[in-house]
This record gives sequence, structure tokens and C-alpha cells, in this order.
Amino acid sequence: MSADVSGVSREVLVRPIQSRSKGYLLALAASLGAIGVWVFFYTQQLEHGMIVTNLADWGSGGGVPWGLYIGAFIWWVGIAHGGIILSAAVRLIGLDTYQPVARMAELLTIAALTCAGLFILIHVGRPDRLVTSVLPAWPTRVQWSPLMWDVTVITAYFVLTATYLMLTIRYDIHRLRDQLPDVLEPVYQALLIGYTEKEDAVVERMVWWVAFAIIIMAPLLLHGGVIPWLFALLPSMAGWSGGVQGPSFLSIALTSAVSGIIIIAAAFRWAYDWEELIPDVVFRGLANWLGFFSLLFLWLQLQQVVTGIFAAPTTLQHATEVKLSTPVYWVAIGLVGVTLAYVFASALKPSLFSIPAMVVASFAVLVGTLVEKTLFVVEGLQHAHFQLYDGVPGTYVPSAVELSAVLGTAGIAVLFFLVVSKVIPVVELHAIEADHEEVDH
Amino acid sequence: MTDDGPVSFDDDEEARMERALAEAGYDTELGMEMAKDAQRVAAGELSEAAFFDRYHEDVLDDFGRDARELPELRDDVDGEVVADADDPDGIRESLAAIADDEGVSRREVMKKGGAAAMALSVFAGGGGAAATGEDDESYDGTRYGMVINLNNCDGCLACVKACEQEHGTSRGANWMYVFTYEDENQDGENFLVRPCQHCTDSPCTKVCPIGARHTREQDGLVLTDYDICIGCRYCEVSCPYGVNYFQWGEPDVPDAEIDDDHQIDERGRWVGSRPPKGVMGKCTFCVDRQDGQMGEEKIGTTSCEDACAMDAIHFGDLNDEESAPNQHLEAYKQAHQNDHSDWENRTDDIVSTFKLMEERGTNPNVQYIGNEPSEHARQVEGPVAYEDMGLVDDRKQEVLDNGAMATDGGEEA
Ligand code: SF4
Ligand code: SF4
Repeated sequence: MSADVSGVSREVLVRPIQSRSKGYLLALAASLGAIGVWVFFYTQQLEHGMIVTNLADWGSGGGVPWGLYIGAFIWWVGIAHGGIILSAAVRLIGLDTYQPVARMAELLTIAALTCAGLFILIHVGRPDRLVTSVLPAWPTRVQWSPLMWDVTVITAYFVLTATYLMLTIRYDIHRLRDQLPDVLEPVYQALLIGYTEKEDAVVERMVWWVAFAIIIMAPLLLHGGVIPWLFALLPSMAGWSGGVQGPSFLSIALTSAVSGIIIIAAAFRWAYDWEELIPDVVFRGLANWLGFFSLLFLWLQLQQVVTGIFAAPTTLQHATEVKLSTPVYWVAIGLVGVTLAYVFASALKPSLFSIPAMVVASFAVLVGTLVEKTLFVVEGLQHAHFQLYDGVPGTYVPSAVELSAVLGTAGIAVLFFLVVSKVIPVVELHAIEADHEEVDH
Repeated sequence: MTDDGPVSFDDDEEARMERALAEAGYDTELGMEMAKDAQRVAAGELSEAAFFDRYHEDVLDDFGRDARELPELRDDVDGEVVADADDPDGIRESLAAIADDEGVSRREVMKKGGAAAMALSVFAGGGGAAATGEDDESYDGTRYGMVINLNNCDGCLACVKACEQEHGTSRGANWMYVFTYEDENQDGENFLVRPCQHCTDSPCTKVCPIGARHTREQDGLVLTDYDICIGCRYCEVSCPYGVNYFQWGEPDVPDAEIDDDHQIDERGRWVGSRPPKGVMGKCTFCVDRQDGQMGEEKIGTTSCEDACAMDAIHFGDLNDEESAPNQHLEAYKQAHQNDHSDWENRTDDIVSTFKLMEERGTNPNVQYIGNEPSEHARQVEGPVAYEDMGLVDDRKQEVLDNGAMATDGGEEA
């Protein structure tokens, strides 16, 4: 099952850069609007402090000091990690079918990492100190604090992804220069500094190695490592500890990332009539992956539930029972479960498959994973090993300020794609010119 | 360790001393020099007169008077009484007294003059107050902690109130907290008095990304550096006891009403009193008192301990057999001896002690006398309600939720 898109012309590829449409402006306005709403709320937080959130102290106050902000942080990092794993797999093991969406996955990684970073910024009480406190402490604290591991690995990862993207972009821009708008000339010149066609072979090898590094690093160290370790290593909360968190976080990352890519690819295909560039087979393939990762996700949830209720230590048992009796947990599981069912059904009966339905399913999965991750953080904090506080568990419903941040970061991700798609091709040239050297010379 | 040995400073020793001096905020260079020469005096390689000759000027500059007038310093270099320098508090006290006499800033004198004192105590057996290397397992300096006798507690909340007032904490940030609870195997009302446990293996200090939450080397206090804390609240989620209280909004007590002596510790770090907005706070074991900034008589005491009329709270150096907590535990055990007449293998006493959730591996420095609440324990309304004392129990409901709703100039917390 491989898509042959090599017949597609370069004009099709640069269509988003050249086209102008009302739809685009509308999307731009919507994303700016979403960001605006968040900025409005966030200034309140800057002015009054974290008190405008519904977070509070755990203990006598019965609140949760970590909530939606951290849940959304994990969620965005997950999308980022999954996205890049996918694109690296394309390069590494030659999953050519997905070449048309590889760059979108990389761009999604950059956007999602930015949003994740923003959540760290708005989560802390003193964002003004992030640089002045973190940098000097780095050499002495990096071996201790899981939070410092996260900051370190995510930064390294951001740099790696950006490099990777930049290398492949240079290749395309050089060859598509004629079709690109002149107003952006300075941008292209900057992107192409020092470029010669001789570097292509070297770059290709570099890209392979970077992809290799990502494939090793992302699952083992990132979403299967430092992110779950933020929680799994603590002695305080019953619902958090345990080795299953690594695989479980990873499954969530992959599920949400594939969903994100499906949505973005479908949006571009729909907006620019890219049926030939991103053919059905790409979506069918992505749907299968989504189904597979959803299955993994549900299986790992099952592991946690079974070990949590069958003769578990009392605090863990209690935490698990409460999780199971929380309706919104079943909403999250249900959303992923329904998607899984749909994917399996359409694999058996191909006529059931439709891209719009897949997009809806992808949104469902994204909502489900965000809910699950936030619940994981919040409920973890509500069921500490130390059970004497009467106020615990209190209630936590994210405040408007917190919810607006999810909206705002989604707006940022959309805005990022809108802007980038006007500057560089969001599908790489390699996708339509498989044997590029021949085409070029 | 070096009382009589030849005067040689191997790299390790030198590094250790330097670190100790630097950490204590003293004038490292001067201290190092003096310490080396002091050792030479002790070893008979340098005459006392030569020593004073050499440092007379410096010491005069720094102290405003000759070191020979400082009894501890003089004794220390006599050789035979070097061990007295084990008591760096004594030296510090003298320095502080000089500062007061001369009208110079205490902090300045402590910093400069303390260098010598520090240096001497580093070498005088035991290593002195600041010389607790992680590598030095036999360290036997101060380790502040508490023995809390729950059998004496009557749930009056005086300690909670006293703490709030002494540190200017915001409503509901109950650094000291008292549970009243009912339990399956205990009759009636039981109490659990809960300050920060100042754990030796504290998860909160491990997870802090920037080292704002740290253990003060000289005495084991677990403190938060309000100057660098970024307010990530990781310490709070990692603490098994729920003793951290973040400053969600503007503090109730403004900065102008708290003077520096309460806030800045002897190392010059801002760790005392309530935290500013956006920063983490918790019980400090009254660090300002321990540093002598509230007066000599308050060293080795805490506000909650003073306020407790039932003699439940006992604070002091757990490494010192004579300290209040150790004495109390000993006396209490003496008063509750077991009857050995029929069964001689019975334990010596019938006193039950525990550390809170020791199985979490935190190694707490608070020890309780009484029964540990079981997993079936339930917190209930106490004999004195928090409201009756002008306190807030559930900070979220009573303070923070209002703030979250009234985003416009809303409540302060
Ligand atoms: S009780 Fe909590 S805050 Fe206090 S030292 Fe232990 S872990 Fe840290
Ligand atoms: S809130 Fe402050 S003290 Fe606590 S872990 Fe974060 S930076 Fe450290």
C-alpha cells in the first residue's frame, strides 16, 4: 500500500503560498481571536497572581497545586513527541506513504513544543525568574530534579527538530525559488545562507542520523521517560507511582500526535484541493496507526485499573476506585474506545471509511487524551498516601483563566500553520520528486 | 582530627574548609589563613605572639577590637581548649555583642569576623557548625527537630495561631496545623500536630528544579529561598505531608511590616517569614530565632513551642542529649516505666513513639509520642474551631475560591 504522488506538479505543492482566500483570512481571524481571549485572561493572572486560577494547596486546603496547566503541558509535549517520531520513522524506515505528511508532523512538533513551553511559563508563580533562576541552577540541579530533566531534554529536542526541519527546508527552497513570492526574498535568503547543492548528500546523511537520534530519544527518554518520571518517582501520591507510567504516557503521545496530523493534513487537503497530493491511502494508513495506538492506550489503562483494584495497597486501591467512579474518566476512555471501534470497523468494511469521520474521531481522541492527562494530575493529587486531611479530596474545576490557555495555545498552533504555509511548502519536495537528483538535473 | 597532627592541609581538607567558610558567608581568604596559622600555633610551630602579630591588624579592622578580647578565639588558639570552638554559637554570640557595642552592622561583623571563628571551629574537633559535608558521614553537628507529645495536646490551636502571627502568614496558610481525629482503635478525640517534618531525606529538596528548597547544612533546617523560587510547586506535590502553602495572591501582611531580621538568615538568604506573591512557603522552624536574630534567649525555641501551654511541643537539637526534645522523651519514658516484676522481658517503658509515614523514606526530624493515626482515622471538628481562633482551616474554600471568582481586585490570599 504505497501512494504514488510523484506525478504531482510543483504548482500544486506551492499552492498554499500563492493562493489567497476568504477562508484563510477567517481562520487567521479565528486564531488571533483565540489568542486574544487567552491574553486577556492571562493579564489577570499576571496582575493578581495564581489566585485567579482554581488551583490551591493540597493538604488542609484540599486543593490541587497542579491542574489543567500541567495536564495541557503533558498533552502538548505528547503531540510534539508523537509527531516527530512519526516523521523520523518515515525517513528512517522508508515509510514513503507518509512522506506527504512528514513535514506537517515536524511543523506540528515545533508548534506543540512552543505551546508546551508556554504552559510551563504560565504555570509557575514567578515567570519573570525562569531565566534568572533556572540558568544558574542548571549545572547543580540537573542531576536531581525531574523538572530540570524535562526542561533540558525538551530544549535539546526542540533544537534537534528545528535543525532537522531546517536542513530539509533549505533543499526545497533552493529548488522552488522561482515559484516563491518575491516579497519574502529576505527570509529565503536567510534560510539559504551558505547553501550549495553539494551539501545535499551530506544533509541526507545528517537527516538520517538526526532521525535515528529522535527515534531512540523520543520514546525512551521523553514521553516514555522524563515526562512520566515527573510523577512516577514521587513518594507522595498513590496514583502516580509505578513503572507503567512510561509506556502509558508514550501511548497517549502517539495517539494524540496521529490525531493531530490527521486533522492538519485533512485541513490542508480540504482547503487546497490536495486530493492528489495527500491521497486517501495516507489517511487510511494514519487511521490504522491511530487505531493501533488507541488499542495500546486502552490496554495500558486496563493494566493500571486491574493492578489498582485487585488486592492493591489501600491508598492505591482507593485512588483507582475513585478514578473509576469519575464520569469524566469514562468520557475520555469512551472517546478513544469509539475511535478504536470505528477504525477497526472501517478496516473490515472499507466503505465505512471517510475522511470527515476520521477528523471527528481525531478530535475526539485529542479531547479524550487531554481529559485523561489532566485527570491523572488532578486525581493523583487528590489521593495522597497521607489520608487524614478532611478537605482532601476537594474539588477542582479549571477556571476560565486556565481554560482560556488551552484555547490560546490551540490558536497559536493554528496561527503557526497559517503563517508557515505562506512561506514554505508544508509538503516536502521529496514527496513528489522521489528521485530528486534526476528530476533536478 | 587535626589537634596534634603536623600542619598539612591536603586538598580535600582545604576544599572542605573553603566550602564551609564560603557557605557560611564568611570572608574565606582571611578565615583560611587564620585557620592554618591557628593550627600551627596549636602544633607549636608558631608562637601565639606571632599569630596575633600577624592578624592583629586584620582582626582590628574587622572587629573593631583585638581578637584577644574575644574569649573563644583566645582559648581556641591556646591549643588545649581547641575543642571549645565546637560551640560556634558562643563565638557568634561574642561577635554579635561586639557589633552591638561598636554600633557596626551585625551582619558585617559576623561575616568578616566570623571567618576566623568559622575557620577555627572547622578544625576544632567535629568540624564546627557549617562543616557538614555530604561526604562526612560521621557529622555530628546540630540537627534541629521536635518531639511532639500528642498525649499532652488538647487541641487548643494556640500553636497554629502563634505561628501565623510570628511569621505573618496569610489566612489559611497554616504552617502549623492540628488535626483532631477519631480512629478505630483509639477512644474519643485524638490530635495530630503537624509542622513541616524537616525531613533529612526530603523529597521536596530533591525535586526543586533550582535548589530554592534546600537543607541548611549547619543545622538541617529545610528552607525555601524566596529570592530564587520560581513557584513551580513541585516541592508541594512531592511532599507526602501536605505542609506547603503557596502564596497564590498578595500576602495579607505587606513587606513593609516585616523587618529584615525576620527574613534574612545568617547566611544572608531570604528564607524567613511569609513568602512573597508567587513563591512557596512552609514552616521554617523559626529560622530567625535559631540564628539569634530574635534574641539569645530564643535560640533553640519556636513560636509554637512557646505558645503551647500543655507542654506538647519540644524543639531543639536532636543530636544533643541535653536538648529539650531529648530530655522530654527521656523524662516521659522514665515516668512510664514498664512493670518488670512478672515479665522481665517486657520493654523498658510503655511509651509509644512514631514518625509520620516513615515508610515513605523521608526520614523526618519530628518524632511523636502517642499513637499514630491509622488508615481508618477520620478528621473531625476539634474542641476549638479554627474560626474561633480567627484562623482559616480550608484555605481553598474560604480564601482562594473568592479570589478566583473576583478577578478584579478580588480577595487577597
Ligand atoms: S515535610 Fe514535606 S516540606 Fe517538610 S521537609 Fe519533608 S518533604 Fe519537605
Ligand atoms: S515552588 Fe519554589 S521551592 Fe518549590 S520546587 Fe518550585 S522553585 Fe523549588
